[in-house]
Formats: sequence, structure tokens, C-alpha cells
Amino acid sequence: MYQSKWRIFTNHTILVLGSLFMILPVWIAFASSTHTREYIFQNGLQFLPGGEFFTNYGAILFDAEATKGRVTALEMLFNSMVLGLGFAIGKVIISMMAAYAIVYFRFKLAVPLFWIIFSTLLLPLEVRIVPSYEVVANLGLLNTYTGLILPLIASATGTFFFRQFYRSVPDELLEAARLDGAGPIRFFIDILVPLSVTMIAAIFIIMFVVGWNQYLWPLLMTTDDQLYTIVIGIKQVYNSLYEGGQIPQFPKAFALTIMASVPPVLVVVIFQRMFVKGLVETEK
Amino acid sequence: MATVTLNQAQKTYPNGFKAIHGIDLKIEHGEFTVLVGPSGCGKSTLLRMIAGLEGISDGEIIIDDKVVNTVAPADRDIAMVFQNYALYPHMNNYDNMAYGLKNRGYSKAEIDAKVREAARILQLEDHLERKPRQLSGGQRQRVAMGRAIVRQPKVFLFDEPLSNLDAKLRVDMRLEIKNLQQRLGITSVYVTHDQVEAMTLADRLIVMNGGVAEQIGTPIDIYEKPASQFVAGFIGSPAMNFLKGKVSDDKKHVTVGDGVMLDLDHVVEAGRDVTVGIRPEHLELLKDGEGQINAGVRMVESLGAETLAYLDFGANADNVTLRLQGTHKFEKGEKLSLSVPASKIHLFDIESGQRI
Repeated sequence: MYQSKWRIFTNHTILVLGSLFMILPVWIAFASSTHTREYIFQNGLQFLPGGEFFTNYGAILFDAEATKGRVTALEMLFNSMVLGLGFAIGKVIISMMAAYAIVYFRFKLAVPLFWIIFSTLLLPLEVRIVPSYEVVANLGLLNTYTGLILPLIASATGTFFFRQFYRSVPDELLEAARLDGAGPIRFFIDILVPLSVTMIAAIFIIMFVVGWNQYLWPLLMTTDDQLYTIVIGIKQVYNSLYEGGQIPQFPKAFALTIMASVPPVLVVVIFQRMFVKGLVETEK
Repeated sequence: MATVTLNQAQKTYPNGFKAIHGIDLKIEHGEFTVLVGPSGCGKSTLLRMIAGLEGISDGEIIIDDKVVNTVAPADRDIAMVFQNYALYPHMNNYDNMAYGLKNRGYSKAEIDAKVREAARILQLEDHLERKPRQLSGGQRQRVAMGRAIVRQPKVFLFDEPLSNLDAKLRVDMRLEIKNLQQRLGITSVYVTHDQVEAMTLADRLIVMNGGVAEQIGTPIDIYEKPASQFVAGFIGSPAMNFLKGKVSDDKKHVTVGDGVMLDLDHVVEAGRDVTVGIRPEHLELLKDGEGQINAGVRMVESLGAETLAYLDFGANADNVTLRLQGTHKFEKGEKLSLSVPASKIHLFDIESGQRI
């Protein structure tokens, strides 16, 4: 399509402005995280990086004192990673299997059961967080990774997406597989899972980010610092900014924030490529 | 050696709809049987019942000497080719063909030998590493057939395999399928709504209508002696002409249209109302005044090799189609003199549509 130079110019201006609007706060946080706390305290937020990158990030990553707790950022990153991955992988597996049962097996109440699952979409986690806490506590799973992940991995959203996807898979594929001697499990593993790669990538991205960003849930389920996720860690650091009459630790708080946002960004970037590749390559 | 026998095979859906009303059929070893009929006649359902993809409500399906009513599709030793190919899109063509063998526990070497042999027969050797979507429609259909023949099944089932292809490719693939089936000598059941496919492929043709086998026979038998008006109208293109008629008092003639008398080659009770069927290609064009029938031309279609003329048989009749070899020039309204050999006149009961 023909586009005038003027139009290209305006389009790009809008895009550049939009990008700046999104990126600038992150950049300021990053730039400010590379100065000494005295410098930030005196001069305010910085646009240009300073020389303290390794000192600040090193301290945050490896020195528990810097994050005002008993865990280092590295350990918190690890906890977040466990939660994010467990959350995302668990949800993908559970919802794939649930959708498989709903779409491909004829059993009584399949339809009402699906709508019951679907209706739980209306209930955010926060609504059932107290009873969920009760259950986890009674099971003795407080302060464990299991307790952190397991109660969350049933996913109505995931089940719904996979159900819609499976319904779009032509029946002939199932019939061809039946004639080829594939039972229900073989069909699922050999045919359905490879066909769903794009869906899996998409749901994995979404769920990983959601899991990574969980705040209230890990805050309730964990009282042990050793299990703190990085999102909770940020909160802890901010809480302690003004304690003790010292100069506030702005650079380190910024450093922690930047670090907390890197893994989700990486996951999105890496899996989005697969996602797009899958979209282009697969054909039902 | 494999035969397929249906004994009063019936299919009733849970909602009470009766798709198949009890069909008896014995398909001999190596026979190419074609199920043909309009959409919704139950032909695909019947095929899927033989495959085991649909359950059977009553009666028996026997492959060789074994009743397979409740045998799983994979254990019936049949292979099926689907209309939309149903290839596994994420597997390359080699794996598509090998998948059924893998599941049946063949060794790698055996699978390789069988797949390569099938690929050689179907001229797919250069495409084995590709994915189905990188192939043309005809090639995909060949892969689908390859998937069927690698297993050397007792019975091949084809569910309208050519209807997704363009016209030219359809003719080529039709020949290829016929060729392949004869070479391999495998009992085959083929479903189609295309009567040309049906006529050309079938050793035996089954014309289905409303869940009933209207007629079973060789294509030529069915063409020459259709058992009912439905069969007569379905087989043959352009379709047979039907006219209302009345048998004359001497029982040897039938009157159609505005008093046209046609000879009959068999005796029918006098005064009976009948439907008279005449195939367009059986009307003979004679010199003026020599024929029994005089009809005006309403429209002409010239196809080069043949000419179709639509004739006016009088106020009481629909258009009648005339099919002539070669090119003919007719004026609109021109009167033609025609005759029909008595042996080419079909009579059907006006109520039941059965052949008289």
C-alpha cells in the first residue's frame, strides 16, 4: 500500500513516543540503580547511569543484608522462578488434561462440569484466598513450595482455551489415529500435544507472568524468609527504606525492581518467538 | 483373502433418527464396491460402520468369517482414506505413513521397508521428509493412500477421497486409485456422491437413498435396468427424462405429453398410469416426419463432442433433454422428429417408483 512520507513520519512519531512513555520509567529506575545512595538522595532520580552497577547489583544478589532480610535477591529469584514455572507448567498440564477429558470423552455431566469449571473464572483468587489458606494450613503445607504452587494450578482459563482449541481439531485426525491403532493416551501425546504447541506457549507465557507477579498468595503462604519471592522482597525493601535514620537505599531498591522484571521479560521474548513460529508453521 | 458381509446392518442414532435401515451385502475378495447416493443417504455412515468409527445398532458386520460389530477400528485390519486427507500436520510424510506401523510394534527396519515400498508405488520417494502442508492436494491424497497401503490391510475404505481435488486431478487420481486397487487386489469400499466416479471405479455399485440400498449391481446393469425411478434419475448424466404416461388399451404402447405414442417391448396392464423414463442419449433424431415424436427446441447447449437440446414435449410435460453426438445446429422453436427404441423405454410405478 502506498504511504506518504508524512504519514510514515507521523506513524513513527506516535510509535516512538509510545515506546518512550513505556520505557522511560524503566530506564530511570535502571539508571538510578547504578548510583550511590547518597548521590540519589542529594540529586534525585537520574537519567544517566552511574558507576555503581556492579557494587549495587552484587550486594543485592549475594548479600542478604542489602535486601533487609535473611535472603539474598538470588534466593528470592530462585523462589520466584520455582513459583512461576511450577504455576505455569502445572496449569498447562492440568488444563490440557481437563480439556482433553471434556472434549474427547463422553461421560455424564461433562457439559455441566465444564460450565462449573468455567464459572470459577468469575472468582478471583482473592475471593477464595482465606479458605485456600485454611486448606493449605491444615495440610501442613505452609512454607513449602508445594503449598505455594499446588492450590493454584487448576486453571479455568487454561481449560477453556484448550477446550476451544481441541474442538477446532478436525475429528478425522482422531479417527485416523484410531485406525492407526493409537489409544487415548497415544493420541494425546503423539497428536494433540504436538498440535497444541502454540497454545501451550501462549498459555505458558501468560501463566508464568501471572505466577511470577503473585503477591498476596505467597505473602500469606510463607512466613519463612527463605521462601520469599522477589515480588515480596521488593515490598520488604521499600518497607525498610526509611527505617533506622539512615539514608534510604533507593539504588538497591531500584536494582531489585529491575531484577524482578528481567525474567518475565525474557520468558515473553523467548516464548513469543516460538509462539509466532508455531502460528506460522502449524496447520490443522 | 477378505470378504465383507453385512447382515441386516442397521444404524439408529440416540435421537431416534434411523440412518441405515438394514442393509444386506456381500463384498467378495478383491472387489471394488462403490456406495453412491445423494448427501444424507447414509453412505458415509455405512462406511464408517464398516470401519468401526460408528457403532452398529442391529445386525452384523462380518469381515472374513469374523463378526466385528464390537471390534475396535484398529483391530479390524482395515485402512481408511478420508476426504480431507486427515494427515497428521506436525509429522513429515514418512512418519505419517509409519505411525500406524509404529503403534503396531513393527521393527524400525520393517517400517522403513514398508514405507519406502509404498512411497515407491505412489511416487512419493522425493517427498518423504516434507510435511503434508508442503505438498499439493493430489500428493497429500497419495500420502493418505500410502498410509493405508503400508499396513496391507484386508479392506480399504475410501470416504469421498477425491472431492477436495480440482476436476483434472480428480480424473487422474481416479485412474490411479483404480489401477492401484487392481494391482494390490485389496477388497475396497468407496463412497462418493459423484456418479461418474461411481460408474468408472465400481466393480459393483450400490445406490443408496434414505438409508436403504435402492439397487445393487454392476454399473452397466444399473444404467440399463434401474430398479427404481430414483436410481434411474441418479445414475446417468444428464439425468434421465421422466414423463407422465398412460398405457394404451392394446397394452403395447404408452402415451406421453400431447398424445405421443411410444412402443413398448413388454406388456403392461392397460390404462395404467406410469412414469416413463427416457435417457437423453436414447432419443434418436430422424428425418422430418419419420419419428413418433415431434418436439420443438427450447434451448441448445453445444459442448463440442456432444450437443444437448432441451425440447418442448407439450403442455403436460417438463423439458426433455436430448443428447446427440457431435455438433448440431438447431434453431430455437425448430421442430425435431424423434424416436425411441422400445427397449430403451423405462416404466416406473407412479406411486412407488419401482420399475415395471
